[in-house]
Amino acid sequence: MAAVLRFLIAVLLFSSIATASLSQEEEEFSEELLLKPLADRKVLAHFHFESKAPPTRTYGHHHRLFPKALYQLVQKFRIREMELSFTQGRWNYERWGGFDPISSSNAKPPGVELWAVFDVPHDLVDASWKNLTHTLSGLFCASINFLESSTAYSAPDWGFQPFSGSLRYGSLPREAVCTENLTPWLKLLPCRDKAGLATLMDRPSIYRGFYHSQRLRLSSTEFGSTEVESGIALDQTLTVVLQPTTSHRASMTYSSDSVLQPSWSLSSIFGRKVSGRCVLANSSNVYVQVERGLMSELKILHAEDEGSGADNLTFEKTWNNPGFELSIAPNRVIKEVNILHDETSIVLYEYLIDNYSNSEPFDLGFTWKFPVVWSSPQAPLHASRFLMGSGNERGAIAISLKATEPSDGLWFADTIENSCMLRFNVFQVVPWYVRVYFHTLQVFVDGKPQSVTDFIERMRISPSEDKVSPGVMEMALKLPCCVKSVTLTLEFDKGFLHIDEYPPDANQGFDIPSAVISFPDFHASMHFLKDDSLNKSPLLSKFQIPRRLVGLVSCYPSCLLS
Amino acid sequence: MAEFSESPKDRPSEISELPDESQNSVSDFDPCTMRKTKPGLKRLFLTLTVLFSFFLGSPFLLKSIEIYRSPLPFRDIDSLSDSVGSSPLLFPCHFQAIFVGFDNFDAYDLGISIKHEMKKLTKHPVCGTCSDSNYTLSVTVDSGSGCARNYNAESTFMWRCGAIGEFDLGGGGDDDGVDEFLGSVLGSCEGFRKVYSVVVVNRGGEVRAVVGKYRHAWIVGGVLEEGMNAVVARVAETFVKVFVNGGKEEGSIHGEFMPVGADGRIVLSFNLLNADPTDWIYGWDFQRIDEILLAPVIKALGPVANISVESQVLYHTPKSSFSYWDEKWDSYIFSTKDLPFFVNSNEWHLDTSIAAGGRSKILQFVVYIPSAKECPLLLQLPNGEISVTNAFISPMWGGVAVWNPPGCLRDSESKHPARHTISPQDLQEVFEIFMGQLRQLFGLKSDSLYVGASGTTNLLASERGFTEWELDVLSRQHTCFNLVSCATTLGSLSRLVQSLPRMIIMDEIGKQVKFSLEAAKLTRSNASLGIYDASAVSSRQARSLAEDAFFHPSIMSVSYYSFEHCFAVYSPFFLPVSMHVLLAAFREWRRYKQETAKYLAWKEKAKVAAS
Repeated sequence: MAAVLRFLIAVLLFSSIATASLSQEEEEFSEELLLKPLADRKVLAHFHFESKAPPTRTYGHHHRLFPKALYQLVQKFRIREMELSFTQGRWNYERWGGFDPISSSNAKPPGVELWAVFDVPHDLVDASWKNLTHTLSGLFCASINFLESSTAYSAPDWGFQPFSGSLRYGSLPREAVCTENLTPWLKLLPCRDKAGLATLMDRPSIYRGFYHSQRLRLSSTEFGSTEVESGIALDQTLTVVLQPTTSHRASMTYSSDSVLQPSWSLSSIFGRKVSGRCVLANSSNVYVQVERGLMSELKILHAEDEGSGADNLTFEKTWNNPGFELSIAPNRVIKEVNILHDETSIVLYEYLIDNYSNSEPFDLGFTWKFPVVWSSPQAPLHASRFLMGSGNERGAIAISLKATEPSDGLWFADTIENSCMLRFNVFQVVPWYVRVYFHTLQVFVDGKPQSVTDFIERMRISPSEDKVSPGVMEMALKLPCCVKSVTLTLEFDKGFLHIDEYPPDANQGFDIPSAVISFPDFHASMHFLKDDSLNKSPLLSKFQIPRRLVGLVSCYPSCLLS
Repeated sequence: MAEFSESPKDRPSEISELPDESQNSVSDFDPCTMRKTKPGLKRLFLTLTVLFSFFLGSPFLLKSIEIYRSPLPFRDIDSLSDSVGSSPLLFPCHFQAIFVGFDNFDAYDLGISIKHEMKKLTKHPVCGTCSDSNYTLSVTVDSGSGCARNYNAESTFMWRCGAIGEFDLGGGGDDDGVDEFLGSVLGSCEGFRKVYSVVVVNRGGEVRAVVGKYRHAWIVGGVLEEGMNAVVARVAETFVKVFVNGGKEEGSIHGEFMPVGADGRIVLSFNLLNADPTDWIYGWDFQRIDEILLAPVIKALGPVANISVESQVLYHTPKSSFSYWDEKWDSYIFSTKDLPFFVNSNEWHLDTSIAAGGRSKILQFVVYIPSAKECPLLLQLPNGEISVTNAFISPMWGGVAVWNPPGCLRDSESKHPARHTISPQDLQEVFEIFMGQLRQLFGLKSDSLYVGASGTTNLLASERGFTEWELDVLSRQHTCFNLVSCATTLGSLSRLVQSLPRMIIMDEIGKQVKFSLEAAKLTRSNASLGIYDASAVSSRQARSLAEDAFFHPSIMSVSYYSFEHCFAVYSPFFLPVSMHVLLAAFREWRRYKQETAKYLAWKEKAKVAAS
C-alpha cells in the first residue's frame, strides 16, 4: 500500500519534470558529485555526468557536446537502451545500504555487465548484439567482445527487466577493470578530466577504494518507438567507496567502545581539489548526503545536548551540529519530503562549483565531532549464494535469502491486511559447463522443504545447450511476510571443457555470473519539495524517479573443472 | 596369428578321422609337407572381402573429406591482369579548336600541326589519359561569314558559325560572364560526348588565356604577334596538360595516393578544436555548412567516391608544440619545421569513426582555435613569410586550419566564458581553405594559375569546388587506378588460391570474384565509349568487390588444411586397422598357396603310389 502510494506520488512528480524539460532543443551537459559518509567509516563518492542530445529529426546529426562516437553507436545499432558497467569489488548491501537510489541503480556485479535493447526486427537482434560487443570492446579497451559468443549472453524475458522485448544481457565476471577502461570513458565527457569535477579522479586514489563502478547508460527515442521524442540521453556515473585515511586525532576514544569516525576532505580522499567547473556544463554541483539513520542519531544527540526539545527544523538546516561540521557553508540545504514518518529525513547540502576557481579551489572538509553509530536502510531480503556438494559430480548451487530487520517500517506496513505478501524476482544465468538440473529445484522456507509450486508464481527456464547457449532461470516468487528465510537449491554437474575453452589461469576456477534479485513492489526513490531549481539537477531528478529495487548476489563459486 | 598357429594342430585330427582310407600310405605321408584334402577358400574369401570393402570405401572417405572450392575464373583473371599490365587504360577524347579572326589560315593545316604538337607532348601515354590513336580533333576557322573545317569535323560537335564575334569575349574583367556565355554556346552542341574546346580569338592587345568551369578554354588577344606556331603550341598544351592531365605539375600526388578507401568510400571528419575553453568557447553551425557548402561538392564527387560527412567539437585540445612571440608580426609564430608536432594525438581525439566501414578512408579536417595565451597564431613558411591560408595539409590524413578569434579578446576576467559561434563569413573562408586542401589531397592544384611552357593560364574555380573538366580528370584517373588495383588484387587472390590446392573457397568469394570481373569488363567497355562517370563508378565497384573477396573472413581464418594435415588427422583412425587387414589378407593368401602346394604334393604322391 505504502509502496504504491510512494510510487504514485513519485510518478506525479516525475511527469511534471518530464513535461518541463521537453520544450527545449539544446544539447546539455551537467556534472554532479554526491558524497555520503557511510556507516562503516568509509565515504561514498558518486560522480554523475549527463549529456543530452535533442532528436535527430529536428536537430540534425552534428553535435556540440554529445560524443560523436556514442551518437554513431546509437544510430548504427539502433539502440533503444544500453547499459555498460565496469566494476571492481562488491557492494556491501548490509553496511552501505540496499534501499536507496544509489545502491539500486549503481551497485553492479563485479567485472563487466552489458545489456542492451535494440530497435530492430527480432531476427536481427543477435547480429546487432554481436557487432555492438565488438564496437564497445574497441571503444573501451576491454574484452567485451567475448560476449559475442552465444554461450556468453542470454535473452531474458521478464526476470531482469519488465517488458524487455529485444533485450540481450551478458556479463564477464572475471574482467579486470583499470585505468585503460576509465580513460576512454572520460573521453566521452566534453572536458574529459581536464576541468570540472572529473579532475578529482586521481587514478591511484580511486582505484585504491573498496568498490569502484563505472557505468554508462544510453537511452534514446530516436527510432519512433515512443510518442515523446526526447533524443538521446547519456548517463555516466562513477561510484567509488573510499576509506579516509585516519589521522591521529581519530584514534582517541570518546566512550568505552565507540571510536570517532575519521574526518575527511576532498583533498584527503582524492588527493586533489576542484578548481572550478567544466565551462561547458549547465550545472556543476556537489552534494553531501546525510542518511536518515545518521540524522535521527544526531537528533537524539542534539536533544541530549540542548537538554530540551529544540526546534527540529532549525537543527536540520545547520551544517555545524554536535555530530559533524562541514568546512564550507552550503549554498542550499535540501530536505527530503518524508511521506511516512515525519521525524527524520535525508538531508542534502548543496554546493555550487561556479564560484570557485584555480586561485580559490573547492576543498570541502567533513569533520566528525562525536562518535555516532547508525545503520543504512536495508532491502527487504538479504541474499547470498553459495555452492554445496563436493567433487566433480553432484554439486548444488544455493541462493539463500534472509529477511532483514525492518529498518524503516515500510516493509511491515502491509501487515494491516491479512495477506501480506512479498514478491521478488530471481534472474540467474549459468554458463553451459555448469549443467544445472532444473527439475531438482527445491525451496526451503524457514529451513523446511516446501512444495515449489506454493511459492513460485511464475518461472521461465531455458536450459543450457552444450557449447551453444547458457542456462537462464527467471523466477517470480511470492512469500508471506512472516517468512524469515528462503533457500533455493539446484543441483548441477560440471561439464567437460575442451583444452582451449579454459580461461587463463584455470586453477582459479570459474566465476558464475551474478544473480539479480529484484523487488517489483518496492521502489527506491527520494522525494523533494517541488521546486524548479531542483529540477535543474539531473542527479536529484534521477533520485526522484522510482526505481525497482535491485539486488545482486555475486559470490564467486569456484568450480574446478576437469 | 591364432588361426595360423592352429592349423598344424588340426592336422593329426584330420588324419585320425580317416584311418582306413590311407592305411597303406601312412608310412610315406608327411603331415608337414602334404595334405589329403583340398584347402578351403572360405578364410581367404573372408579376408579378401574385408580388404575389398576397404578399397571400395576409400572413395567415399575421400569424397567425404573433400573440401569445397568454388570454381574461380582463373583464366579471366589472368587475361584481365595481362591486359591491364600490358597497355595502360586510355580513353577516347574529343577536342575542338575554334579560331576566330584567323581568316587566312587553313583549318586542315592547323589540325595537322596541333596534332603534331600534341603528339610531342604525349610521348609516354599515362594510364587514365587519352590515347593519340583514338582522339578526334576538329578545327574550325570562323571568319564570321563562313567556316572552314578540317576533314574529320563530325556533325556531333559542329560549331555554329559566327556564334561569337571578335569582341564577345570581354576584355578580361568578367571571366565568369564569358565562361557562362561560352558554356551556353558550346553546351548546345556537345551531346552526350565530352568535347574539350579551345576558342582562340585574335584581336590584338594583351594575350590572356582562361580555362573555364566547363570543358572549354579561351585565348584572347594579339596572339599572332608571337607567330602561329606559338598559338598552335599553346592550344595543344591546353588540351594535353590541362584538359587531359588536370594541370598537375610533375611530382604532385600520384595515383597510389588516392585518398579513397578500398570500398570506394571517404569519410570527411570535420573537427572544431577549442584549445582552451576557459578563454573562449566557439561553436559552428555545421548543419548549414553541410547543406550549403559540402552537399554540392559531395554530389559532384559522387562518381569518384561515396563521401559521408561527420563533425564534432572538442575542447581542451592544446597543440603539442610551442609557438613564439614575434614583434614584427605582432603575433605568435609557428614555423613550418615544427609542423610535424602540431597535431597532438594525445589530446585530439579524432577517433576513427564507427560509422565508417572497415576499409573506408577517413580524412580529418581540423579547425584549431588557439587559446588566449597564443593568440593570434600564425604559421610561417620556410621563406619567412606568413602563410596566407594559415593552414597545412598532411597527405592521406587531412588538413589543419588555424582560425584566430576576432581581436583575440578574452571575455573580461569572468569565470564563465560566453558561447560564441563562428560567423558565417569566417566559416565560409575556413571551408574555402578546406576545399583547397581537399583538392590538393585529390592531387589537383589549389591555386588558380597554371604555368605552362608557353605561358600562364588562369583557371576559373567552380562553386562546387571541382570544375567539370577536373572531375573528368579525376574520374579517368580513378578508373585507371581502380582497375589496376582490382587486377592486382584478383591476380594475387588467384595466385594464392592456386598455390594452396586444399584451401576452402566459399561460394561467396566465387560470386564476388565473378561480379568484380563483370564490373571490370563494364568499366573497360564504358571507358572505350568515353563515358567517364559510369566507368569510374563501375571500376570502384570492381575494386571494392575484389578487395572483399581477398579479405573475406573465411580466407583469413581457415587453416589451409594441407595434405600433410589431412594425413595427420586421418592416419590415427585408419592406419592401425588397415595394416591389420592388409597383413591378414597377405598371410591368408600365403597360407592358401602353401596348403595348395601341400595338397598337390600329396596328390602327386598318391598318383605315384597308385601307379
